[in-house]
Amino acid sequence: MGKFKKPDIAGWVESFSGELYSWALYKVSDPELAKDLVQDTFLAAAEKMESFRGESTPKTWLFAILNNKIIDHYRKKLKQPVNKDNQIFSKFFNEDKRWKTGNVQAEWHEEESNLLDNTEFLNVLKKCLDELPDKWSACIQLKFLENKKGEEICQETGITPSNYWQIIHRSKLQLRDCLESSWFDAFNEPLP
Amino acid sequence: MKRKLMQLLFLSCLKATEIIEKRLYFRISFIEKLQLKVHKMMCDACTLYDKQSLFMDRAIEAVNKKESAKNIEPAKEEIDLLKKRISDKLADTGSSE
Repeated sequence: MGKFKKPDIAGWVESFSGELYSWALYKVSDPELAKDLVQDTFLAAAEKMESFRGESTPKTWLFAILNNKIIDHYRKKLKQPVNKDNQIFSKFFNEDKRWKTGNVQAEWHEEESNLLDNTEFLNVLKKCLDELPDKWSACIQLKFLENKKGEEICQETGITPSNYWQIIHRSKLQLRDCLESSWFDAFNEPLP
Repeated sequence: MKRKLMQLLFLSCLKATEIIEKRLYFRISFIEKLQLKVHKMMCDACTLYDKQSLFMDRAIEAVNKKESAKNIEPAKEEIDLLKKRISDKLADTGSSE
């Protein structure tokens, strides 16, 4: 008990909670989860107070713990099995692995740059992303949040490269389909 | 021999779109580059997929930017509640030891 430096931790909670929370929120985009991660960070810090020797600043130390918690979170997500895994291809491709005729899509007749600024379109895409299985959206998010190359993401999360790009492949097929039906089709004239 | 060459050069659409995605995240081999090029020359559907896939990546980035801009400055009350929650939790674990 004597080693438990309660005053320090209390001060750190006061000083760094805000920044840690912003960072966690940016990384996982889920307020409740982000709060849990920050709380776990401080609990872990309190537990291993002795290993903090002041070689780094408290802030750096806490951020390192938080980043490990965030990676752990994604690692867990990537371990979840996904039932849809094998069904997705038969939705888009024939047995000879060519596109099903119904899935040969039309051009998207909209200026790309306009769409990227269009809040309504981005909301539709967000909805489509949220509908992906957890494991798939974790793969997609990892690329955009970490801004890292595939190999690095795989190393950190323990997923194999082929597994990773196959999940991305399935996710993008699914996303494209979702965008077609929830956005682009709405602008096509119905056939007479 | 001829069959082997055909197999080497001609991809299925499933495989072609897989390479299109792989390429966005990993280095692809010379053979894969060639296969993809040949396939896209013959397949409008995959050429379109390639274009749309790139666009989707840019759009996902835009979504993430928008979301993180929304979250960049959490409300002070929210942070204060979080601090309280963590302090209470720490006090709990501290006293139970």
